[in-house]
Amino acid sequence: MIDAHKLIDAIRSLRIGFASAKWLYTLGVSTLLVLLPFALRLDGRPHADWLQFLGRFHPLLVHLPIGMLVVLPFLELAGTTRPGLREAAGFVLHVTLATGAITLVLGILLAYGSGVMGATVTRHMWGGIALLIELMVWVTVRPAWIAGQLQRAYPTLLAVCLLTLTWTAHQGGSLTHGSDYLTRYMPGPLKRFFPSASAASDAAYVGSAYTRYIHPIFDAKCVACHGASKEQAGLRLDFYDLLMRGGKDGTVIAPRNPDHSLLLQRVTLSPNDRHFMPAEGRTPLTADEIAALRAWILAGASPTGSSIPGIATAAESADLPLQPVGAYSDLMNEIRQMQSSEGAKLVAVSAKPSDGLILRTTDVASTFNDAQLARFQRFAPFIVEAELGRTAVSDSCFDTLSKFVNLRALHLEGTAVTGRRLGKLSSLSQLTYLNLSGTKVTSDALVPLKSIPNLRHIYLFETPAEPASADTNSTRRSTQ
Amino acid sequence: MKQHPLCSDCENPVTPLDLPIPRAVKQEWAALETRRRFLGRSGKVLGWAALAGLFGELGQRSYARGADVNSASEASNGFGLPHFAPKAKRAIYLFMSGGPPQMDLFDYKPSLAAQFNQDMPDSVRGNQQLTGMTAGQSHFPVAPSHWPFAQHGQTGTWVSNLLPYTARMVDDLTIIKTTNTDAINHEPAIMLMNTGNMNAGKPCLGAWLAYGLGSMNDNLPTFIVLQTKTNPKENNQPVSSRLWGSGFLSSEYAGVGLRSGTDPVLYLADPAGVDRDVRRKMLDTVEEINRQTLAEVGDPETNARIAQYEMAFRMQSSVPELIDLSKEPPSTWDLYGPEAKQPGTFAYNCLLARRMAERGVRFTQIYKRGWDVHDNVVGMLPGLCQETDRGAYALVTDLRRRGLLDDTLVIWAGEFGRTVYSQGGLTQDNYGRDHHPRCFTTWMAGGGVRPGITYGETDAFSYNVVKDPVHVRDFNATILHCLGIDHNKFTYKFQGLDQKLTSPVPAFVVQGLLA
Repeated sequence: MIDAHKLIDAIRSLRIGFASAKWLYTLGVSTLLVLLPFALRLDGRPHADWLQFLGRFHPLLVHLPIGMLVVLPFLELAGTTRPGLREAAGFVLHVTLATGAITLVLGILLAYGSGVMGATVTRHMWGGIALLIELMVWVTVRPAWIAGQLQRAYPTLLAVCLLTLTWTAHQGGSLTHGSDYLTRYMPGPLKRFFPSASAASDAAYVGSAYTRYIHPIFDAKCVACHGASKEQAGLRLDFYDLLMRGGKDGTVIAPRNPDHSLLLQRVTLSPNDRHFMPAEGRTPLTADEIAALRAWILAGASPTGSSIPGIATAAESADLPLQPVGAYSDLMNEIRQMQSSEGAKLVAVSAKPSDGLILRTTDVASTFNDAQLARFQRFAPFIVEAELGRTAVSDSCFDTLSKFVNLRALHLEGTAVTGRRLGKLSSLSQLTYLNLSGTKVTSDALVPLKSIPNLRHIYLFETPAEPASADTNSTRRSTQ
Repeated sequence: MKQHPLCSDCENPVTPLDLPIPRAVKQEWAALETRRRFLGRSGKVLGWAALAGLFGELGQRSYARGADVNSASEASNGFGLPHFAPKAKRAIYLFMSGGPPQMDLFDYKPSLAAQFNQDMPDSVRGNQQLTGMTAGQSHFPVAPSHWPFAQHGQTGTWVSNLLPYTARMVDDLTIIKTTNTDAINHEPAIMLMNTGNMNAGKPCLGAWLAYGLGSMNDNLPTFIVLQTKTNPKENNQPVSSRLWGSGFLSSEYAGVGLRSGTDPVLYLADPAGVDRDVRRKMLDTVEEINRQTLAEVGDPETNARIAQYEMAFRMQSSVPELIDLSKEPPSTWDLYGPEAKQPGTFAYNCLLARRMAERGVRFTQIYKRGWDVHDNVVGMLPGLCQETDRGAYALVTDLRRRGLLDDTLVIWAGEFGRTVYSQGGLTQDNYGRDHHPRCFTTWMAGGGVRPGITYGETDAFSYNVVKDPVHVRDFNATILHCLGIDHNKFTYKFQGLDQKLTSPVPAFVVQGLLA
């Protein structure tokens, strides 16, 4: 006890001179740290193997300072009543600083040695540097706090340190496990608060075979290391232009030449080969995925082509992509009311509200008339299919139906329509299916339909307009 | 009268302390039952209950997101189905019970003719276990098909001369030559095909669809089964209601069988002197009593019973309308043929299936028995084909010309195929064929599948799959996909498992079949 008192006295007497020397020291090291990334610039190239060998101890060692840093506030808090713990806190703080410094150096060696780069890597690195500087400040101001000064500033510093730690650790975790590691299996209601950093893709190539079949392969298997957050070997596969630009080893895709495409070579090596991709035991590409890549490259690796020859996909369907309808969740109560008052139903096409609604009249078909249909007008933009077969609607239904701007399929079979006002439908650009079987529609009435660009299937069975040929195919007419 | 010691009705209620149990146990009971303990425990229980409520709500909400609309408009389901916009709204399944011989109908193997009566190489059969009917055979003589094949349609698809009508619509069909199953005997195979499991007790495809997608017409059952009248000359294997049962799902999702006679639902009509109002009043009272039972006992089957009474009431008017064919135009009879006028024939059932599709029945399954041709293939097969060929063709064609094929999936399948080697004696003009699970031919048509393709390849003996196998589970997964369902997400918790139609073994949607 006596020794400790003497020590404190000695420190107090030396305080001013000693402290300023410490501050100078802190400032010097901090400057060095800030300059370090400029000396060892991450250029996406791997460097000497021994750098990486040492660097790989970074993830191992990193948890030591983290654990101690987290325990420090508890020690400091408990130390206010138990002096022994306060003393321990000082010791732990110094060990934290020492191991933290080693970890930082190893981390930079890892990044520099393995040739990784990217936004997350950079953030993680600066987070680590900031944290170490904060730790040094912490060590420097602690004696003043023990001496009874800085009663407010000290806890603030601790809080800043912990926040920096959390943020930096999260960046590091994202590098190891992928950026959606924490949010992927989050319950739906919580997910709303975390707008998913979902896969980036080229908006320009929507609907192309590349977007639908090729990009998702990269997205699932490659982008974790070759993406915006981590650019291993300077290669990014998250955008078409970047994919074609290639990495430090040059281009990775040789259009029409799969065998000379580095990317395809790497994913088809033996899994034991050190150049095999995806590296480090991540899930390899399936045979189907490789086949799709090969076929795509063989066909010219185009970002816009709508199909890949030789690959059986759902792509070659002639159907238009579904046009999303707007949000109607505000109208849910009215939709329910309509159902009980009119008997006809508005049914969701699928669990995805933007797929729209089907107007279903089966249960009340024989009585469902134009006036009732008109009452559904306020839901018009959300209705993609109107099942009006065998209902009591007449030609004036087209006045209402012309407002159903997102209508894709219209069933009017077995109704009293004569087709006199079919021209009203010409504003429906999405309409692909029109069933007029069993009506009195004549072929003259059909002329205005020619202006509907996407109308592919018109059914005229048992109508005056039915083509005379006995061939069953003839009832299916194409306006194209 | 002696009362049970724990009976609560007796005049002097008995507590556990009065029971003849060891003193130590009584003391423990007394010690536990203090007010403090009671309050403490209730507090905890309430806490857990609140937590469970919160989590339950959370979980359900995330599960049912986007299902709001469905639950609003289709009261039946509240769990977000279909998962994605479906190509087909409904399906019609033509079930060829017994196992049609694929190499006599679709799987053309011209090279077999040269190998007539030669023993099949052992390498082709491998170490396959055969049925008891042919396992004892010392020879496995190759029996080439008795009938010539020809190419049809723009696709040039080979079809046997036995199926002249089917041959006309090959450009509309998606023919799968490599369907394969795990079972070699009828009952397990037919259960696997229908319910995804060889053992009884699982819901069938139709029940899953009824449960998941719900009804499109309140006045008709969601899932209807039609049986074709049996032909006594044929080898008819039994089919039972297990094949259209609801398994662990509520029994309201089970298939409703319509009889093949003129009176498709027995006792559906009201007895003389009972008018519809009386019937209504009676049903209302029965429902009230049933609701009381439900409140007391809480058995969901009571709900199913209430729903079934109501359905029967509505069917009293909807079924007579459904089977009234008098308003069918002449073109119908030109297409389906005169047989379609006789109730119970396959053609008649196909016509009914089309009428049901128009009226919003979600799933119709037509069973045709008799394909189990163990001997006398040459004698039996022409009859079987003649009974079914025109009906199937008429159904697909009728759906197409009426604009229904765009959103109806038609499926034609048996539970397995048949062997290329002859069962029993092979003569110049006759042979028999045993069960064969390793490959058999099925077809689909309509919403969601790609028309005019033949999928998969079998070896020269139509014995093993060479390319693109389609297991029964993949077959079912693909059907569900056409109806907008992700088979892996469509589960029902039972016996601690997330049960699904495609069983626990991984299954895959066959992308090559999709439009």
